[in-house]
Amino acid sequence: MTPLAIFLCILAQLFLVAGQLFFKRAMNEATPMPGSRKLGILSIGIACQTVWFFLWLRLLQKWDLSRVFPFEGLDPLLLVLAAWLVLRERLTVATWVGVGLISAGIVVVAT
Amino acid sequence: MSGAAGHEAVVTDSVSDHRSTTSRWLNPYLLIFVGALLNTAGELLLKKGADSVADQGGVAAVIGLTPLLSAWTWGGILSYIASMVSWLYVLRTVPLSIAFPLINVVHVLVPLGASIVLHEHVSLRRWTGITLILMGVIAIMKPVAKAEEKL
Repeated sequence: MTPLAIFLCILAQLFLVAGQLFFKRAMNEATPMPGSRKLGILSIGIACQTVWFFLWLRLLQKWDLSRVFPFEGLDPLLLVLAAWLVLRERLTVATWVGVGLISAGIVVVAT
Repeated sequence: MSGAAGHEAVVTDSVSDHRSTTSRWLNPYLLIFVGALLNTAGELLLKKGADSVADQGGVAAVIGLTPLLSAWTWGGILSYIASMVSWLYVLRTVPLSIAFPLINVVHVLVPLGASIVLHEHVSLRRWTGITLILMGVIAIMKPVAKAEEKL
């Protein structure tokens, strides 16, 4: 794979993670907001997931699934990191252990 | 598991009464796995739908629209939408850093379903990876389940 393809694979996962952050931000009961604002943030989340979808589709067109799919193993790691840094969620050791196992498992399944 | 439990308690206090009663009936952690099952069913139904329509050529086939002629495909789409709705409901109360790792149980359920329902071959290497994912999901779920019991 070219460095550009690897970069795009990681970029795609970042869009997926960003989308989930917006979904959580909009839906979170602990931070209520007016319906219109909720819908706006949800839409940004959907837009992020749409970018991810088409970027991913394009990558799948150019490269073998077994080359591209392992990058999905990054998702749990990146997402938990983002939830910690951006949403200030408290993480436990169990979460880190679980995420490590899941990410490793996805890479093994995919390659 | 102070993280998830603490968060949950704060959330339940801050919402109005009728919401906390419904969330008792619709346990969000249970709903994560219902959503994962719906997502898996969607995936299997889409595969069934895609396989059940003969490749006739033409524009519709090129852009991948012919599977829409199959009822299996529509079942799959409905199942996907239901899993998305349940996911958004889950995010109301469950921290993302717990919910997202847990939803990865689809990486276990989809190959399992493909093997049982569609009779696809799953290699030993894949089963190894699937076991790792399952162990990770259990590692995260166990303290959460304990905290839930206490509530």
